[in-house]
Amino acid sequence: MLKERKILLPFINVNTTQIQKQSLQKLRTVFRFMLYKTNAKSLLVISAIVSWVLLLGNVLLMAESARQPGAIKMALPYINNLLIIVFILSVFIFQRIHANNLKGIDFSSYLWNLFSRAAVAAYLSIALYFGYKLATGYMQVKSPFLLHLVYQVNFGLLVYFLAKAFYIWRQLLLYHKNKFLHVAWEWFELLLCSTLILTLLNFNYTNYIFLPLFVLLGCYILFLCTNLKWVAYLSFNKKSRSLVLLGAILVSCYIFTKFFQEFSDSPELVIDYSDVGFLMLAMAFVGLYTLGAFLVSLFSLPTSSVFEQKSEDLLNFQRLSQSIQQGQSEAQVYDLLFESTIKASDASAGWLEQVRGNNTHISHLLNINNEQIERIRHLLLAYNIQHIDYINNNLDRNSGFRDLALPWRSLIILPIKSKKHVFGTLYLLRDIEQGFDRETINVLRTFTSQTILTIENLRLVAESLQNERYKEELKIATQVQESLIPKTFPTDSWFEISTHAVAAKEVGGDFYDFLQLSESRIAIIIGDVSGKGISAAFHMAQMKGIFHGLMQQDMPPSEFMKQANSALSRCLEKTSFITSSLYIIDYRMKGFMFARAGHCHTLYYNAMMDDVFYFQTDGLGLGIVRDKSYNNHVREMYYDYNPNDVMVIYTDGIVEARNPDQTEEYGEDRLKYMLTQTYHLEAEDIKCAIINDLEDFTGPENLYDDQTLLVIKFKPIQPNA
Amino acid sequence: MKITQDIKDSTIIMTLDGELDASSSVILDEELSDPEIMKYNKILVDCRSLNYISSAGLGVFISHLQRFEDAQIKLIFFNMQEKVRNVFEILGLDLLMTIVTNYEEAITIADE
Repeated sequence: MLKERKILLPFINVNTTQIQKQSLQKLRTVFRFMLYKTNAKSLLVISAIVSWVLLLGNVLLMAESARQPGAIKMALPYINNLLIIVFILSVFIFQRIHANNLKGIDFSSYLWNLFSRAAVAAYLSIALYFGYKLATGYMQVKSPFLLHLVYQVNFGLLVYFLAKAFYIWRQLLLYHKNKFLHVAWEWFELLLCSTLILTLLNFNYTNYIFLPLFVLLGCYILFLCTNLKWVAYLSFNKKSRSLVLLGAILVSCYIFTKFFQEFSDSPELVIDYSDVGFLMLAMAFVGLYTLGAFLVSLFSLPTSSVFEQKSEDLLNFQRLSQSIQQGQSEAQVYDLLFESTIKASDASAGWLEQVRGNNTHISHLLNINNEQIERIRHLLLAYNIQHIDYINNNLDRNSGFRDLALPWRSLIILPIKSKKHVFGTLYLLRDIEQGFDRETINVLRTFTSQTILTIENLRLVAESLQNERYKEELKIATQVQESLIPKTFPTDSWFEISTHAVAAKEVGGDFYDFLQLSESRIAIIIGDVSGKGISAAFHMAQMKGIFHGLMQQDMPPSEFMKQANSALSRCLEKTSFITSSLYIIDYRMKGFMFARAGHCHTLYYNAMMDDVFYFQTDGLGLGIVRDKSYNNHVREMYYDYNPNDVMVIYTDGIVEARNPDQTEEYGEDRLKYMLTQTYHLEAEDIKCAIINDLEDFTGPENLYDDQTLLVIKFKPIQPNA
Repeated sequence: MKITQDIKDSTIIMTLDGELDASSSVILDEELSDPEIMKYNKILVDCRSLNYISSAGLGVFISHLQRFEDAQIKLIFFNMQEKVRNVFEILGLDLLMTIVTNYEEAITIADE
């Protein structure tokens, strides 16, 4: 034990350490990524703030030096440009990292996010500007210092607004993107970024070389602005709310543009941000995209209800087809059908009839009373169109409907039926003429056919469950029947017996049984009920009862057959009959008495004469003649046995068993031959030899009828028996 | 299983072709249950092509046996194959039903 442990332990250690290492590595990468992200974010924030403050300082310094002519220009424009670029890049990259992936299709929350976090900056900036105006106007002084401060703050706000808007629009623009759009966007980002170089090198973008390039970029922006797929997913309410938000964002764009335009080329300022081409392009993109979204939302507002209806129809189809997995009942499916079709067709009234057996009943009603329904049904019955597809888009034109004075103008009848079943009928009414156009009818038909499919599937599922239950019951029946057939015979020194019994189905019609009549006498019965399966099994149980009931009185076999026939005549159905043989073996007399009622002939080996033969006796099956005349059809026989004699009792399942190509039967001759070859063996071995030979003949899995075989071998007298 | 009927005066000659098992015995039962059949007083069943008869098939004949007897309609089987005849014999039906070797014999017995 100790050794084993020592061997095992290192393995465990290796495994656990490996797993630990792996999980640690995973954790580390996640951690590193998080660290990287947070590090990058804080770094960007710091660089943005630092660059902005430095820029402010530098600008103020420049303004101060500009005011004092003759002073040495301390600040360089290149430093300003560098700081501007650092600031812009920091803010944009921060927003790029910050932007989350789209979650769901709640686009209006993104718009709200954009408005509340960024567009407000414009209102802040204008408030600041007016505050400055007010302050300077009130104090009657010109303060370039304050002006520069306001200008700088507004620049910061503008960049923040643009960055935020830029990346929120990116998310929406790339909704349902394809590869091409994705690449196009990445190029756009790259091109836009490259325009910063112009600022760095202090080129004027308005000169002849760069202007065409900027115009081209403008066209590129226009192309990008056409990707507004998300607007279609807004419902009517959300669209109207989005319009307000988009309007507010547009106003923000306008404020910023106006503000910086006002101060462009202003002699009071030392720096002019309208010269930064990047900002102009970014503003063009944000402004155009907002405008595009605004206009598309505005013009799609009237059609949005159609889109909403279609998506709801689609959702209802899905719900219908998924109702099986969700374990819904038929009633729930009908509820869904009625609700969905009313909504899809915008019907003003309707009802749903369900067929149960031979009668129909109304399960769903909307804005219609039973009396009206009754009148419409009468009319439809008169026209003989109550269960067919029927559309009447102008009820007033039909005199029958006109007489009913209904408040509706259109009617559609949709039968819910498959090839085999009629499940019900759906009636929908509208208060306008031409209420059901082709498009609507198609949707309605899809609903009904989906319902039929769902209901049929539901029934199939229920049926298969029921079948499972039947199978269980059959299993029980098999067990019960097995308990009816004796497993062990009394073992005695003067005979040995071996049995074999298989049923073709779960339960069968073959049976055998025994009853010890006295110390030296035993009754053995074998029988076969016509037919197979459950009904045969019931009759078999009945026969067993008759055997035990009658043989308590100890009667000769022929008498038993007569009485059994009379008993069975009263309970067996007309086409059923039973074949049976009854043997009463008397050990003291060394003989047996038997009677055959239509059962297979008994195969016998006589040891004294060394002969194998069938007992050829007459005898009519039980239940064939159901009156006293049966008594003339049964014979009784007595036979003295010798030691080592063998008796083979069987049912027709043995001799009528067929070979795989169904052309040949096993037959009495082959059975007889088998006994001539095996009679010297023990009863068990004779049985096995016959069954093996039979299986060789039929092949595996080729059982069509119940098979029963009993082999009885009489033994020499034991001295002490 | 194929069942064909051939009518000659007051005689129906019914030819059974194939195997008479549980499913085909239903068809036979329908044919024999037909009230039209009671108009004839002789039913000759040609078993030349009857290769197999199951207990269900036997059951159908047995169930109609009494009815035909009561209506004094003669039911005669002929041209029966050996193995099919063996099934009838084991069950003891050969003593209850008329089974003859060929058509001529069947006609002779029917006309008695």
